[in-house]
Amino acid sequence: MLEIRGLKKKFGKYQVLNSLDMTVPSGALYGFVGPNGAGKTTTIKVMVGLLAPDEGTVRLGERCLGEEGWREKIGYVPDYFGVYDNLKVNEYMEFFAACYGMEGLKARRRCSALLEQIGLEDKADFYVDGLSKGMQQRLCLARALIHDPELLILDEPMGGLDPRTRFEFKETLRELRDQGKTIVISSHVLSELSELCTDVGILDQGRMALNGNIKDILSQVNSSNPIVITLFGGGRDKALALLKSHPYVHTITVRGDEIAVRFTGDRQDEAVLLQQLVDAGLLISSFTREQGSLESLFMQITGREEERTVMKYENESGL
Amino acid sequence: MKTNPVYRREMTVASRSLRMPLIITVFNCILAAVALLNMYSNVMQVRLTADIQYGSFLQLYEFAADIEFIMLMFIMPAITSGTISGERERQTLDLMLTTEMKSWEIVGGKLAASAVTIFLVVGSSFPLIALVLVYGGITGRDMLYMLLCFVVTALFTGGLGICFSSLFKRSTVSTVAAYGALAFLVAGTLAANSFALSMARMDLNQAGYTAGIIGSQTANSGALIYTLLMNPAVTFMVILQGQTASGSGGILEMYGTREPNLILDHWILASSAVQLLMASLFLVIAVKMLRKKGIGRNA
Repeated sequence: MLEIRGLKKKFGKYQVLNSLDMTVPSGALYGFVGPNGAGKTTTIKVMVGLLAPDEGTVRLGERCLGEEGWREKIGYVPDYFGVYDNLKVNEYMEFFAACYGMEGLKARRRCSALLEQIGLEDKADFYVDGLSKGMQQRLCLARALIHDPELLILDEPMGGLDPRTRFEFKETLRELRDQGKTIVISSHVLSELSELCTDVGILDQGRMALNGNIKDILSQVNSSNPIVITLFGGGRDKALALLKSHPYVHTITVRGDEIAVRFTGDRQDEAVLLQQLVDAGLLISSFTREQGSLESLFMQITGREEERTVMKYENESGL
Repeated sequence: MKTNPVYRREMTVASRSLRMPLIITVFNCILAAVALLNMYSNVMQVRLTADIQYGSFLQLYEFAADIEFIMLMFIMPAITSGTISGERERQTLDLMLTTEMKSWEIVGGKLAASAVTIFLVVGSSFPLIALVLVYGGITGRDMLYMLLCFVVTALFTGGLGICFSSLFKRSTVSTVAAYGALAFLVAGTLAANSFALSMARMDLNQAGYTAGIIGSQTANSGALIYTLLMNPAVTFMVILQGQTASGSGGILEMYGTREPNLILDHWILASSAVQLLMASLFLVIAVKMLRKKGIGRNA
């Protein structure tokens, strides 16, 4: 498990990280999100040992940041490729294997296995700078895995990749997660993270605004989302009268035949409400709880929820 | 024994480049042309006058040694001043720093690769220089001394280049800074001594007039002479003048006569030690600065 406690980092007068706390469970695929300048890359650079924190602790299992063998446990894929001219793919891999003390047959076998895993085995004799962007990114991932790290940290790894390469990259990450690797991935493509990650952390202004299991978070978000009721063949006033008298209904928003209701009851209360509407002789064509997304959550946390609400609901009326 | 990964990678990449074979070819062609012309003129002179001027063979040695030394002084900083900053520019330094490689291994690998490259050029010319051994005047031991001087100079200029490469973010800036520092150490120390000598002569002349005698013979540049210990060009000239007895007086005597002392008596050894010490200092700075982001770069 990766644990960060009270992490602080300042550049000049600018406090980039402000008592950041973060927990990444073992075996998790952790989505690390935040607006530009929130401090994601700084946090990642601290985690991989490229920046020294001003304050705070970073622990991976029993080991603390900076202790002997810390780097051995971490694989890092930055938001750039970092390739050498005039170096072939297998030489590039063997160079980084040697950087971790692996040489000879052992290194060659490990390199071959990784190139096969990421689908670059037929490119072993190609020059690195001649590979496509997607291939270079996959090669970077293979490089980061050369020493079989416990924790893999990827900083915006899917930026600039085409949809197919993104898909393949995500599949590789899922495979790695299934192999038991803990993966921290920072990205701006939130829809991708929500379908890929098991856990999420939202960073805002150098602090962790939200951290936890993505399913738990989204279910909490879902329960606070409105129920959208679509009526068939009129009866709006009757429905509104019934809803206004319901104890769990907090706000009602009307848009055409659709009524959005902020409802604080549980799933059973939702079912009872539906039953009451039907018993009142109303024809209900749909009755659904609006699904929360990582994107909407991100917008809420980073203070841009109002824009979304205004766009979504035209005639909001409180009770 | 494990080979330094940085050194191995640098050599692999260098072996694929046409740059080094071209430098070796051009350099040896120039030396060969000079050697052949030198021998031709000697043979012609023998035919005309029946007089063999053995001293002229030494000119070949001097020429080759001068060229090699100038190459070391000018090419080594150019090769090394882009090593670390080049990695920063390619964004590969951070990748190396996240591995288990130690900073000194990275700097050491870079220096070793640069030194091997330059010594490949220097070493390739030795068969031509060895022509002088046929005629005598220069012994194998002399050549060994010269080689040691080259090694010290390569470490000194290489260390300087790597130090500036580690200090600055951009290779162009680090190259300019490295050449600036080298010019300061080579030309600056000589200029400072010349200036000090002139001042001392002026003082003595003034004192001489006052006392009724003209005396500039005992003027010297004072303690500034010891700044020349940092100057590899002076060490080289002292060695070369000792071997070929060329020029009028030694380079150190140019800056005035002095009472002999331990340093002046063992100038080559002392200056080599000082330069090696400075090279070590440059490398320590390079190692320390490697994990800093470099001047001109934000975090």
